[in-house]
Amino acid sequence: MPAQTSQTSHGSPRFLAACAVTFLLFVIACNAIADAPREITMGLVQKIFYFHVPCAWLLMLSTLVCAGGSVAYLFGGSERGDRVALSAAELGVLFGMCVLVSGPLWAKAAWGVYWQWEARLTSSLLLWLMLLAYVLARRYGGPSARRLAAALALFAAIDIPLVYFSVRFFRSIHPSNTVVSTLGPGMRGAFWLSLLAFTVLWSVLLAARLAVESAQARLVDLEILLDQAEEKKT
Amino acid sequence: MKMVALAYGFIWLAVFGYVFLVGRRLGKLNGEMDELRRRIDRLKS
Repeated sequence: MPAQTSQTSHGSPRFLAACAVTFLLFVIACNAIADAPREITMGLVQKIFYFHVPCAWLLMLSTLVCAGGSVAYLFGGSERGDRVALSAAELGVLFGMCVLVSGPLWAKAAWGVYWQWEARLTSSLLLWLMLLAYVLARRYGGPSARRLAAALALFAAIDIPLVYFSVRFFRSIHPSNTVVSTLGPGMRGAFWLSLLAFTVLWSVLLAARLAVESAQARLVDLEILLDQAEEKKT
Repeated sequence: MKMVALAYGFIWLAVFGYVFLVGRRLGKLNGEMDELRRRIDRLKS
């Protein structure tokens, strides 16, 4: 047990190195964002884009990983898959919340309103609500809610193409998916750096959350073994 | 400027809040580990 504990410890050199790399990437990305030229029509408010889009990407990535883990748990009985799914769902809720707050702040400046019930915004809200339902079911539903939550994760994954292609298939005022390719050179570098920094942050958070969840599962197993040993002794 | 500051501020607050929550869970887990160690020691003696 001590060897396993040290492998998953948040104080391990590998984890601290990953944190340092993430911090460094964010310093570089924030510098690039600050140096990036201002967009002509929107001005400074366009800089929300550099954080908003990576958060949207992480919302979708989290949902995919959550669905993958849920498939492994539902059809293969993988406990690790279940733990990955729960950790990814929490991150999906976190980054989804960031998307749903930063987007309306940009919209207020660009469209004059915080919210429009149009396809991209509504499907993103739906995706976030499904992930939130997953996390709440896991938190308060007890052990029997694990399979139900896993099925919910699969429904959430079905919503991803709807979110991504909504601007193409429905009449939408949201900027299209090709907006990244239209960015100027100074803006494009800042965007990709920000996307990289956020993705590394997501990986570090997922590893940390997964380590806590795995340690918790091992602890429960050990407690059961210890209960049995204590009963035998008495 | 206000909108940009609000957006960036919220995202950082949310991320740090999450890190704090994970840290708190880890602290709780360490407490449970200590309790388990005590039980093992009692069982040994």
